[in-house]
Amino acid sequence: MAALLTAFPTAVQAQMEFSLDEVDAEDSKPAKESKTQGDLIEELAAGDDSRGGPVEPVPQREEIAEEIYAVQQIYALRLKRLELAPSVAFTLNDPYLKHYGLGFAINYWFTNVLSVGLNFIWYDWGTNPLDRGTSFTPRIQDQFRLGVPINDWQFGLWANFTYVPFYGKFKVRKKIFQWDAYLIGGVGLMRSQPIPVFDPQNRSFDWQTNVAFNVGAGLRIFLTRYLTFFTEFRAYMWPDQFENVNVDPADPTDSSTWLQSGSSFVANTSIQLGFTLFLPIKFEYRLPK
Amino acid sequence: MMKLARQTLLRISLLGTLTLCLVLGNGLREGVSSAGAQDVHVSGPLAGADAVKKLRLWRDLRLHVEPFFAFTIGDEYSRSLIVGGEVRFHFLDWLGVGGWGGYSVGQLDMDLTKEIQAKGVTRDANRLDLPSRERYPDQIGRVNWWSGVELHFVPFRGKLAMFQKVFFDADLDFFVGAAFVGVEERADTEIQRDSITTPQYCTPVGASSPQDPGCLQSQLARSKRTVVAPSFGVSFNAFFHDFLGIALRWRGIPFKYNTGGTDNNDDGQIDSNDRIKQFNNMFTVGLIFVLPPKIKTTD
Repeated sequence: MAALLTAFPTAVQAQMEFSLDEVDAEDSKPAKESKTQGDLIEELAAGDDSRGGPVEPVPQREEIAEEIYAVQQIYALRLKRLELAPSVAFTLNDPYLKHYGLGFAINYWFTNVLSVGLNFIWYDWGTNPLDRGTSFTPRIQDQFRLGVPINDWQFGLWANFTYVPFYGKFKVRKKIFQWDAYLIGGVGLMRSQPIPVFDPQNRSFDWQTNVAFNVGAGLRIFLTRYLTFFTEFRAYMWPDQFENVNVDPADPTDSSTWLQSGSSFVANTSIQLGFTLFLPIKFEYRLPK
Repeated sequence: MMKLARQTLLRISLLGTLTLCLVLGNGLREGVSSAGAQDVHVSGPLAGADAVKKLRLWRDLRLHVEPFFAFTIGDEYSRSLIVGGEVRFHFLDWLGVGGWGGYSVGQLDMDLTKEIQAKGVTRDANRLDLPSRERYPDQIGRVNWWSGVELHFVPFRGKLAMFQKVFFDADLDFFVGAAFVGVEERADTEIQRDSITTPQYCTPVGASSPQDPGCLQSQLARSKRTVVAPSFGVSFNAFFHDFLGIALRWRGIPFKYNTGGTDNNDDGQIDSNDRIKQFNNMFTVGLIFVLPPKIKTTD
């Protein structure tokens, strides 16, 4: 994309410029026919030369090439507003366990395109995680005699920056909807817990806290100036420790042997859907004087 | 902790979200002058004027030729890398038909395949599923080629600003159609389990010979077929010049096939009954060339 933009810079930028040719012909004709190219006040001040009499010299004006740009006001400003965003989260890429999350985010927009905030997702609804297992896990165990260590999730909490590089509008019948697309990323924590599969008689695990980070991109559609619908793709990543697939035959109750020695990189890619409320719900434009 | 069924939780979540939406959408509207999305109410000299003048028609009666690179996502055992092309003709600026085709130029085995290859265990009970762990990648189902015809619908278009410096036209292209896919799977076979022969052996389905000790030959035997399946998706297109653009496309093609080359219904046979529903989907990056190269605009 960058190469394309570099190759055709003028063509890309020219689409947003308004040239004089684009002005309606009817509107432009009188201006072209005006011999003085001045305004009405100037012509009256100059008077009628045919009456004779002394004519004071009119100070010569420099010709100015005027271009008027018409720019619509941004439909909804984000600047200095608080954004509250409840959402639901669906994990896309875990073939072994289904995860359902309920999330909430709060952001403060310190410029119109940059915000800082927190987002929280709760995954632990008290159900047996093995009840949320897919049919894929037993197939692997039966067909390949291969055990799969699985971790369940409790919640995640992240501090994020959001940046809005893209915005626009689209029309549906006679309604115009404003939208923007944003990039988001941050750091936080993720609470996870290994599910004892290989030696459930002896092993049990507590929730463990992992340092996590995330990146994502989203699309926000303004339903009103303070209410939007949004969907976003998020990749939550953290190093996680899974259950040890080997059981110590000498002392299976030794808890120091229950976990794998190293950490595995986990990437939870998910789709989130929700609404955002901007507060205060009213705002004022500050126009240049 | 109170335990709730998964469906109950989902219903509560959806109900809560909808309630919140209604409260925010209606309750807070009181006292706010604006309503809904931005209404198009134009008065004065612009009343009745065209919504857009000099609209650039990227598609109307034009041909789009698009070479692309794609890769499948969400695969269990193997990911396909695809190179192909697409041709679309648009009767209207928002409606067209097209065809596409691609060939899988590479296959990337997933981590699970490597795990099975390294740690899988073969016993008599699973000999048909995994005759040899070392040769497991050879029994995986793969898609060799892809093609399809689709109807394209472009309801949304607009200008897009990037970093408030660069501007270009963009649109969303929704499409639906039929796909024709070349699938290669493990060939049909049947395991013969008796207490005399060791190791167990495989034969063609319904036959008693030739015998394949340990099912090692059957692990490598392949069969090919063409699958017809629905296809649909959405594409984000951005145009940088009168005849040039870029497309980022997601396409879904759900169909059944035996991805693991295993006896999934546990009937002692590898056959069509072992095919499992797969939501095959891919992500595509394409370069759009538009013909004729000169673009038309409205009045």
